Amino acid sequence: MNRPAVAVTGLGMITPVGNDTESTWRGVCAGVSPARTVAGLEGCAIDFACMVDGIDLDAAIGSRASFRMGKYVKLAVLAAREAVTDAGLDPARWDGSRVAVVVGTSSGGSASLTEQAVVLDRLGAGATSPSGILLTIPNMPAAEIAIQMRATGPSMAPCTACSSGATALSVARDLLVTGQCDIAIAGATESIVYPAAMAAFARSGAGARRDGDPAGLCRPFAADRAGLVMGEGAAVMVLERTDDARARDAVPRALLAGTGATTDAHHPISPHPSGAVAQAAVEAALRDAGWTAEDVEHVNAHGTATPVNDATEAALIARVYPHRPPVTAPKGVLGHCMGAAGAIEAGLTVLTLQRGVVPPIANLDAPAPEFDIDCVTKQPLRRPIRRAVSHSFGFGGHNAVLALQRP
Amino acid sequence: MSAIHPKITEVLTHTFKVPAAEIHPGSTMDSLEMDSLAVAEFAVLIRETTGGDREFDQLPKDATLADISRFMDTAARSGARVGGAAAMSNAR
Repeated sequence: MNRPAVAVTGLGMITPVGNDTESTWRGVCAGVSPARTVAGLEGCAIDFACMVDGIDLDAAIGSRASFRMGKYVKLAVLAAREAVTDAGLDPARWDGSRVAVVVGTSSGGSASLTEQAVVLDRLGAGATSPSGILLTIPNMPAAEIAIQMRATGPSMAPCTACSSGATALSVARDLLVTGQCDIAIAGATESIVYPAAMAAFARSGAGARRDGDPAGLCRPFAADRAGLVMGEGAAVMVLERTDDARARDAVPRALLAGTGATTDAHHPISPHPSGAVAQAAVEAALRDAGWTAEDVEHVNAHGTATPVNDATEAALIARVYPHRPPVTAPKGVLGHCMGAAGAIEAGLTVLTLQRGVVPPIANLDAPAPEFDIDCVTKQPLRRPIRRAVSHSFGFGGHNAVLALQRP
Repeated sequence: MSAIHPKITEVLTHTFKVPAAEIHPGSTMDSLEMDSLAVAEFAVLIRETTGGDREFDQLPKDATLADISRFMDTAARSGARVGGAAAMSNAR
């Protein structure tokens, strides 16, 4: 298909291992998880997570508007600022009518909604926050970024659970390709480490139970994988049509070459055991990029460390990419940042392409014997990578795959 | 009396990131660029301190911080519930 190429010209991240892109990259390459006991989770069956640390978010936001922002909004605003600065763009000088904002989330501000429900129950309506709705609704990251950056083009918050970030980047790509904007600020955010969510998460059976140090608990593709560990964070990219980027002398970090999406239509939590529908998303992304499976030199896996996801995904990888490209799974370090995960992992894939480095999977000596895949372990793998894919498979059966390549 | 109740300064600087240098007894919510949502949130936080049934919206729109301080002192003297809410709300 004759379609304008789309470039990643800016990247911003805030994650459990770093409050910007560089520190996140260093932390992921170090291969050590920061999962720890969380003070607010005393008594919960799962009382640990990977948390954004070492930053005063309100001070970092620095505006009189932070009172009306839930943590998920603050993380997104900070990542967006870094991305726009990284792209060499200045919101004071751009034509905001040509700027779109597409920032997804899985659970939005459910943390604040729960807090407000407790206030209402204990203290009455008069004590609840007049900002209660703003602290809750999932579109506010996109809206607050648009307000701060005077971006008056289309904006929205795609929600496909754990693949929301990949979906947001895919939607933003489409807005650029169809000429609905010239610049897209796109990514995802999540922050749901609070007791009600962690209790539900524990009861669902998807979460790893404490067994020694939480930092060693998320073990993607391991024989003794025990389930996922919760994380939080945000990643945002600036996307532009490659011709536009070059015209303003921007240097693309990578190209978003293809996207593919399918839905299992099978079960809200369990992936379809055949992996056939998830595979169709991979194949759609490859077709969209004009690649064959053999072109793929690296897979940034969804790799949640749940028994079923990793078995299904490992089989899929072995089937689709029989040439055994190196596989990483950042959730071993970062935990599962839920709706933000797909955007964070796409950002890491961009950095892999730029730097020729594949980060190792934390807490993994070797993949389970039945998994015929080449996992990067212990040390970063140094190898030039031209083309890579990032897999995201969300609760609800939402599969979204991104194909990224060096410019 | 033109003193500013310390809770006002604390809420304005901490929650609303108003620079301390802008906070004077004669400042109004408008002059501090507090929009209607911010004012409503401010009122909830102030009420946590004063307690009582007197509602912040009894104050005129152009009330100064000195006016609000007097209002808080009066509300506090009139008794009623104090505290209890502070640890709960706005704890994001």
